[in-house]
Amino acid sequence: MRFAMILLGILVVACTAGSLIPQGQTYAWYAEKYSERTAALIVATHLDDAFHSWWFILINAFLCINLIACNLVRLPSLIRRTKNYAKPDENPVVSAPYHEDINTAFTKMKMSGVKEMEKNGHRVLFSFKHRIGLWGAWVCHLGVLLLIVGYSLGQMTYKEYAVYGVPGDTLAVPGTSLAVTIDDFRIELREDDTVEQYTADITAFDLSKSSEGKSATISVNHPADLLGYRFYQNSTGWAANITILKNGEYFQSKVVCAGDYLPVQDKPELVIYFNAFYPDYQFIEGYGPSTRSGKVLNPAYLYSVYYMGQMLGMNVLSSEDVLTIDEYTVYFSEPQSYTLIQIKKDSFTWLAFVGALVIIAGLFLAFYIQPQKLWAVEEEDGSWTVKASCKKGDMLFRRQFETEIEGKNKDASY
Amino acid sequence: MLRIENTLFTIVLITYFLSMAFYFLYVVGKKKIYSRLGLGLQILGLVLHTAAIICRGIGAGRLPLTNQYEFASAFAWGLCLISLIFILIYRFYTLGAFASPVFLVMTGYAALLDNQVRELMPALRSGWLGIHVSTAIISYGAFGLAFVLGIVFLLRDKLKARGFLDRHLPDKEKLDMLGYRSVALGVLFLTITIITGAIWAEQAWGRYWSWDPKETWSLITWIIYAIYLHLRIRRGYHGKAAAIFAIIGFGCVLFTYVGVNTLIPGLHSYG
Ligand code: HEM
Repeated sequence: MRFAMILLGILVVACTAGSLIPQGQTYAWYAEKYSERTAALIVATHLDDAFHSWWFILINAFLCINLIACNLVRLPSLIRRTKNYAKPDENPVVSAPYHEDINTAFTKMKMSGVKEMEKNGHRVLFSFKHRIGLWGAWVCHLGVLLLIVGYSLGQMTYKEYAVYGVPGDTLAVPGTSLAVTIDDFRIELREDDTVEQYTADITAFDLSKSSEGKSATISVNHPADLLGYRFYQNSTGWAANITILKNGEYFQSKVVCAGDYLPVQDKPELVIYFNAFYPDYQFIEGYGPSTRSGKVLNPAYLYSVYYMGQMLGMNVLSSEDVLTIDEYTVYFSEPQSYTLIQIKKDSFTWLAFVGALVIIAGLFLAFYIQPQKLWAVEEEDGSWTVKASCKKGDMLFRRQFETEIEGKNKDASY
Repeated sequence: MLRIENTLFTIVLITYFLSMAFYFLYVVGKKKIYSRLGLGLQILGLVLHTAAIICRGIGAGRLPLTNQYEFASAFAWGLCLISLIFILIYRFYTLGAFASPVFLVMTGYAALLDNQVRELMPALRSGWLGIHVSTAIISYGAFGLAFVLGIVFLLRDKLKARGFLDRHLPDKEKLDMLGYRSVALGVLFLTITIITGAIWAEQAWGRYWSWDPKETWSLITWIIYAIYLHLRIRRGYHGKAAAIFAIIGFGCVLFTYVGVNTLIPGLHSYG
């Protein structure tokens, strides 16, 4: 157990370091924040991603081995002790003569199910309770083990994807045979303009099978399980329709999300990049463009134009403005919200949660189901000696014995 | 409703203060009546505090457990409740003199925080959140009490003369046991807190554990108390060592609750 406690201590130090040092940054970022030397040290020791580093995994592996060994070693003696619990102990924890009606000893100590038996030629009255409580620590350790194993397997195998789009889009999920259609997307606002809920109606298809799609409604805090994956309404942003005219005639149009770009169809080296959308545009000297509110009152679009990877220019367009590049005319319209849907598969979450429930059960057993036994031995002269056993730390039971059987410390009050 | 809450909250502060004053008088003036007055005022304060929290819940139209103010108030409420339970079960009135300053300070801290009602972002609107925070309150309350009992233990350790306090504090073994029982309660509820938090995170963000600083610190706290439980099984770690551990452990709890929000940014930055 000493080694285990040292491991837990190291785990505390590791977690502290991992929480105080910002995780997942680059060498340059750490060099800027601390110093070059510190940054090199952080990167070399994997403290930039402490919770997934080899040494963190190693500590947990040791902890698991320790728990398995500890639980295996203790199992036989635990079974034996459980079996033997229905008998009086050779060495009771407390023992005292009792001069009243012997049945009152059991009622005062709140013990029931008294059985009569014989031991070494003496008549013995015996009762016990809560022997399942012997298993508390064992069950708790089993739970910790399951939790760590479930979490680790999940880490090794989980898959996570994201797609985004506006209602009507059907999006292939890269790396899978899935496709998702966004049937509808709604943002419910409260009276004060804050967001109540983001809700999307989606249909998922498995492209490898020609079966029907499965539909569901998802919103924040209410994911849905479809085709073996779990779908989350993750976040939202703005999209708009970009229309391109060529020589004054309709040529091309597409809904593009802010942060995304549109190459011109017959001249793909010319790219319109949709940087940002301002639903209620304002320009403040010294600050630049921003939005007054979340409502579409004065829409404006920040765009930039690239030609063969070179930026030609950047500007803000209103809904009425158009942008002209050679024979092309570009304008933005129909601002709308897009939704970002997260798609996840972790086949071991259930194991981690079973572990968690087992831990709770184990803690409850260890703390609140105290195994206790009480028995009375009839002496040759017909008097009774009352004896009891309990866990070492179960001082309440010992004190209760002192009060009820030995008649000490009645009505202690402080 | 929120106006009523404000008024009630002020009365609660005063009641807690008076309760503490009578508990102190009991220790100094040694009259039984003072301890009963302290107890009565503590119960009154708790009832009013409960009413204030309910008023806020009605006024805000939701469970009032979502920001630092609401949580600080609930935390004080939890400590007051759990210490009251211990005082009544173990008839340990002097405990009031040690516990009341802590929940009074906690309530005072809440009074300093911004108590405006704000609408919740969608991720915070979850039934699991309610369970998560309620169990956290019990857990933190229990750790707070273990901290108080740790201090009482150390104080008792220092008391040599057979004075009033010496006669009116439980013996060291009993104090140690009370401390252990409140840590046990805290650990059980901290475990439930972490797990319900994980379930909520899984639904809101798609990850049940993402090592954000608040999560990490609750895990650190959990491990610290796990170490405490194991050390106690071994000889030599009872009593004083356990008392010191309970005090350090509560430092961890406070850091998880206040320190992480102010010192380290993360997903939990709202509460
Ligand atoms: C590698 C790690 C660990 C080892 C080797 C270990 C070992 C032990 C041992 C030998 C006992 C004494 C059992 C008894 O008296 O019946 C014990 C008790 C216990 N352990 Fe662990 N333990 C480990 C980790 C943990 C963890 C992470 C927890 C989580 C909270 C935990 C919770 C408990 C509890 C609740 C008890 C009973 C304490 C009491 O009754 O006061 N253990 N452990």
